[in-house]
Amino acid sequence: MVSKVLVANRGEIACRILRACREAGLASVAIFAENDSKSLFVELADQAVQLQGDSITSTYLNQEQILKIAATTGCDAVHPGFGFLSERADFARAVTQAGIQWIGPSPSAIERMGDKMTARKTMRDAGVPVIPGEEIEQEDEHEALLAIEQASTRVGYPLLLKASSGGGGKGMRAVERPEDLLAAAQSARREALAAFGDGRVYLERMLTGSKHVEIQILADRHGRTIHLGERECSVQRRHQKVFEEAPCATMTEEIRSAMGKAAVAAAMAVHYEGAGTVEFLLAPTGEFFFLEMNTRIQVEHPVTELVTGVDIVREQLRIAAGESMSCGDLNLRGHAIEVRLYAEDASNNFLPAIGPLAVFQPPEGPGIRLDTGVRQGDEVTPNYDPMLAKLIVWAPSRIEALQRMRRALDEFVVLGTTTNLRFLRELCDVPDVIEGSTDTTMIDRLWPNGWSASIPVELEDGALMAAAVSESSGLHRQVHSNAQVSDQSGPVSPFMTLSRRYP
Amino acid sequence: MLHQFRTAEGDVEVTVAKQGDVWQLGQHQATVEDDGRLSIRLANGTKGYATTAKVGDVWWVHFQGHTFCLERIEPGASQSGDEGGLVAPMPGKVLEVLVDVGQSVEGGQTLMVLEAMKMEHRILASNAGQITGIHFSAGEQVQQGSVLLEMVEDEA
Repeated sequence: MVSKVLVANRGEIACRILRACREAGLASVAIFAENDSKSLFVELADQAVQLQGDSITSTYLNQEQILKIAATTGCDAVHPGFGFLSERADFARAVTQAGIQWIGPSPSAIERMGDKMTARKTMRDAGVPVIPGEEIEQEDEHEALLAIEQASTRVGYPLLLKASSGGGGKGMRAVERPEDLLAAAQSARREALAAFGDGRVYLERMLTGSKHVEIQILADRHGRTIHLGERECSVQRRHQKVFEEAPCATMTEEIRSAMGKAAVAAAMAVHYEGAGTVEFLLAPTGEFFFLEMNTRIQVEHPVTELVTGVDIVREQLRIAAGESMSCGDLNLRGHAIEVRLYAEDASNNFLPAIGPLAVFQPPEGPGIRLDTGVRQGDEVTPNYDPMLAKLIVWAPSRIEALQRMRRALDEFVVLGTTTNLRFLRELCDVPDVIEGSTDTTMIDRLWPNGWSASIPVELEDGALMAAAVSESSGLHRQVHSNAQVSDQSGPVSPFMTLSRRYP
Repeated sequence: MLHQFRTAEGDVEVTVAKQGDVWQLGQHQATVEDDGRLSIRLANGTKGYATTAKVGDVWWVHFQGHTFCLERIEPGASQSGDEGGLVAPMPGKVLEVLVDVGQSVEGGQTLMVLEAMKMEHRILASNAGQITGIHFSAGEQVQQGSVLLEMVEDEA
């Protein structure tokens, strides 16, 4: 039985889960750090409890505090979302031991898959092909660096250093030349230690020209483990996905079926329960290699939802309550594309940006879904991940989905904070993207010296005129950030305070 | 009316004039709509709406799928030049300082490592030169725009 869910996350994914709880008729509790007290997700919960502390470690990563809140609010389930504690087996175990349902796989499944080195071994044993590479077991800094150096000569260059507890590109470094290895390894270990509390890294051969293709799986307690087809997420910058689609443009029935079988075998090897994703690299030859399994809901899950008609988060809630999953046989329909809107300067090495969301107007219309944790007036701060929203489109065909994405991105207005909107828009015109021949190194290959927007001169004129006319007409749509109260003096009309007109 | 804006390509002077409800910049035209957006018709026939917002001194403009960031320069304001220092691109924490005062460095050399948004960022020397000042040490928090280090570049 599940009746009241604590969502141990924030931002966009917390909103997604809280809405699913509302739809399923389940009560919900949000937890939030002080600097999130005005955030959207706090509003969407039936109940919200503030976390004490002023760092991520003392708030969203504070297991003890979160468990205490779950107990005092009478929650009988915890949904971890992604990131934060979602792949922490010790937390899943503590939740379970407190008599609360963990919405996700068992702690031992998280352990065996979450530790990327153990996962590689588990998969090798289950007969699933893994990327050529070597695990580094040494925990001591000096010994580990020595072992990495020795392994590098066997793995060969270029190679990838990856954090064993890693994800999201953190603690990951591409190394092209032996002389860069030591600095890269030190920096990867340090970043991994800071992000995951575990500095171990392992080595993998860098397979260039491959596609990143992943299989969504679902497993319930009634003996059913199924896959929901693939997503392609090859377009990445700094090892983080920015453009994801389902199905993969070059997928064949044979490869999908083989990959699906391997993914289901991977899940069954660890007695998986709930939603999970098995990631593969798909080589141009059609060979595929296990990358890792993510034992949680994934950022890009909406594209699968749109082409399969399955509400994955709702199924997670069902499975956790001990029910059978409700979806039938795999039936793919049309094409879906997701882009990740980041507060970042794409023309300056994708450096995160901050500022107010003075205007935040997402596109609307047929086939468009927006998953976000922000709204107009919010402040983008350096405290958390700079992802603002996921824009997802669905259309009957891939060509139409791309056309719809172009239209949607053109309509999307975000002012006050630099975003990657234009970068995403130009991606839709890249021939490799149009043909579906994307691979994981595409962005670096297309823009080796960095991306910059190509802006027609006459549009620049138009923008300058718009700014000059706005200034001249006193259109100072001064921003009332939710984070700060602006000074008002003298008698105040409520209409002026809202800086809005009523027709 | 004359306005001056700072763009990535340099400072630009823009003079707009109003005739009736219509603003003009050369052959380009704009009218202010009731909802605060601007209806724009460019000389080449391009028509569309622009959304604008002012944050501090900066006018943000969305037009035809592009977003522009135009800093308005107040008439008579003094030109604030570059101070020759290396500034923090965003708020964060100093992880490592890799150089000492007086040290000669090469272009592209890593001078400092910052952590922001849980990612590491390297502060690089853009050219060869000598470090003349270090303002932060490892573990310290820095604000966006803080001058981290100062250096004198070698004569080319």
